[in-house]
Amino acid sequence: MTKALKLNKSAEEGILEFLKYLLESGKVKGVFTLKRISKNSAIAYSLITNPDELKDAVPFYPLMPVNAGKLMSRFTLKEGAKKPVAAILKPCELRGFIELIKREQGTLDNLYIISSICGGVFPSRTEVDRSAEKKLPKYWESVKKGEISPDLRSVCKACEEFIPYTADITFDLLGNNDIDKHSIFYLNTKKGEDLAKDMKGDFSEKEFDRKKLEKINEKRQAEKKKLYDEIGKKMNGIDGLVEIFGRCIGCHGCSKVCPICYCKLCEFESPDSEYSPSNYETELRKRGGIKVPPGTIYFHLGRLTHIGISCVACGQCNDVCPVDIPVADIFKKVGESIQKMFDYVPGKDVEEEIPLVSFKQEEFAEIEE
Amino acid sequence: MNELKGGIIPSKTGIRETIIDLIEKSVDKGIFDAVIIPMKVPSGDSFVYVLVKDKKLLKDGFPLAPTMLVQGAKAVSSVTRLGKGNMKIAAIIRPCEARATVELAKLGQADLDNVTIISIDCPGVLPTSDFLEDPDKYLKKFDDAYKNWDDKIMRPVCQICDKSSMVTGDLHIGTLGAKKDTCFIISNSEKGDSVAEKLDINLNQNLDSWNSKVKAISEEKKKKRIKAHKELKSTVSGLDNLVETFSQCINCHNCMRVCPVCICRLCYFDSDKVKHTAEDYLTRAESKGSMRFLPDTTLFQMGRMMHMSISCVSCGNCEDACSMDIPVGQIFSMIADETQALFDYVSGRSLDEPIPLVAYKKEELHQMEDAND
Repeated sequence: MTKALKLNKSAEEGILEFLKYLLESGKVKGVFTLKRISKNSAIAYSLITNPDELKDAVPFYPLMPVNAGKLMSRFTLKEGAKKPVAAILKPCELRGFIELIKREQGTLDNLYIISSICGGVFPSRTEVDRSAEKKLPKYWESVKKGEISPDLRSVCKACEEFIPYTADITFDLLGNNDIDKHSIFYLNTKKGEDLAKDMKGDFSEKEFDRKKLEKINEKRQAEKKKLYDEIGKKMNGIDGLVEIFGRCIGCHGCSKVCPICYCKLCEFESPDSEYSPSNYETELRKRGGIKVPPGTIYFHLGRLTHIGISCVACGQCNDVCPVDIPVADIFKKVGESIQKMFDYVPGKDVEEEIPLVSFKQEEFAEIEE
Repeated sequence: MNELKGGIIPSKTGIRETIIDLIEKSVDKGIFDAVIIPMKVPSGDSFVYVLVKDKKLLKDGFPLAPTMLVQGAKAVSSVTRLGKGNMKIAAIIRPCEARATVELAKLGQADLDNVTIISIDCPGVLPTSDFLEDPDKYLKKFDDAYKNWDDKIMRPVCQICDKSSMVTGDLHIGTLGAKKDTCFIISNSEKGDSVAEKLDINLNQNLDSWNSKVKAISEEKKKKRIKAHKELKSTVSGLDNLVETFSQCINCHNCMRVCPVCICRLCYFDSDKVKHTAEDYLTRAESKGSMRFLPDTTLFQMGRMMHMSISCVSCGNCEDACSMDIPVGQIFSMIADETQALFDYVSGRSLDEPIPLVAYKKEELHQMEDAND
């Protein structure tokens, strides 16, 4: 059983009222959430300090312009927050942030994490062609019913990690048929309880409807199987990789937006990856022709090796690819297989070490075998 | 500018074949050891630059590819940035790629000593997203448009390009104004002269019809360009409009990564200089009540404009790589025209012209003084 707060307001109003209370009561000095920021109603993450500004906030809007885990890392990289700040993150954004914290790229100090049982997000394209607004009613219908909205990112459709692990407060969304009527906040931690403590509303002990969530999970698993089958067929051996990544233009947008890729200077942008004239001459003797700039597939394989263990399958890389390579689908599939090998779920627990960093003696024996 | 010299060569089977033929002959005669040329990828849905030595592979070369996925200047820089090497290389690229290559050479990012740049009259390129929708269909559409020099399906910046036949490399293949089954070959350097000589091409033939056609097209495009920039200016100028225009930017910096002249290994806007403490961010947010996070999206765009617009060649690669469809290429082409006009500079026009922000002239000091009066 978990402590829960219920407000007799729709999800949309309830979360805003909660955030307003947090700012007005001074429990937090800032709220980090999605907000409409312009006349053309572009949606971006914002740090809000004035409660009046919450009128344009859209905390559960199904878009992820940037993986907010990356943003929280930027917020706390140089120095943790000294004053309390509430951050509303989607589960995979929170997991991304936790992975970054393990890599010493941020801290949870003075942060209150509010997450939700997530229905997934639209590809960013839908904001570009302005179709997101039109798709919203259908989206919320499927969220209520616990179904997979057809407009989601491919990796969202196939996501089984829609319940946040380490949030202080979890907002009940996916599969909750009553989100038009009530808002339910699960207060998972002492920090979460403290935040909600003096709020006007009904407090009770409540349990997630595990059965319902399991049913949703089954649907997601079926989608995942479809996705993996499809990408598995395409990714067949080095020829398959050449087919898939052949049109990569080397913009490295995928790595730039990845919540896990945090290197200031990527190995593949460093002098180590540059070919000297004699490198080229040698290569040309071997194979007659070489793509320039070289190293396209090597980059993707390298990135897979570097971050596969921590990939949270948020799908940012898919969205940002100018040539529509299904990067995220590949990284989700391969990432998961690496993670399974180490029985590791990225972002599940901030105390759990990243397997590639920790050393266990018996792993030696495994290699020998 | 000096009068260009050129000759006329037969081109019976189409311009792509003519160019491949020319290159093959040059390789046979030992003029070049390798060639940088666009090629179709194995899946057939894209074109990439390949450095080719093997003559058999050269047959798959695809000059005048319908799209520009990687800017050719980046390909040349990738091969020669660390030195000129021992190979004599021909680079078959478009005029804006040649211009960017010249800028990169001036910025110390390419060594052109052993490179012969061969450019081609350019009809423009297709927006990447259109092409990827149906590569075969769009290749055909491109070829049809090429025949009629119709730019309606090309990138927006290509539709207003007045330098699509600008000769800045060593050799240039001209198709405009050419009689049936022929094309022009124009030399712009001693290197170009020497290649022509070895291929027995007489460079003292009449280029009038090419010159007049190029002039007409370039003047027409210039008019279109001025008009388009004027219209664009009314929607993006002023801080409010700029912020609005870039409001959807997600900071992926794709525009910068694909830009041929953005050469910094670590961009200022990715450096520690733009990383602040949580307390600083919070203070800044408090001053406005709410702050976009990350902040400084528009500042990045303006910073990039200041850093590279003097060398911008209006290729439009930034716009094609933008995942949020911001017309960043059109905006940069507009700013670039103004920045370059200020210094009477045209990016990539000549290797001998120093980049104004690098060169120092004493009288500029007086201009500064005057401006402060």
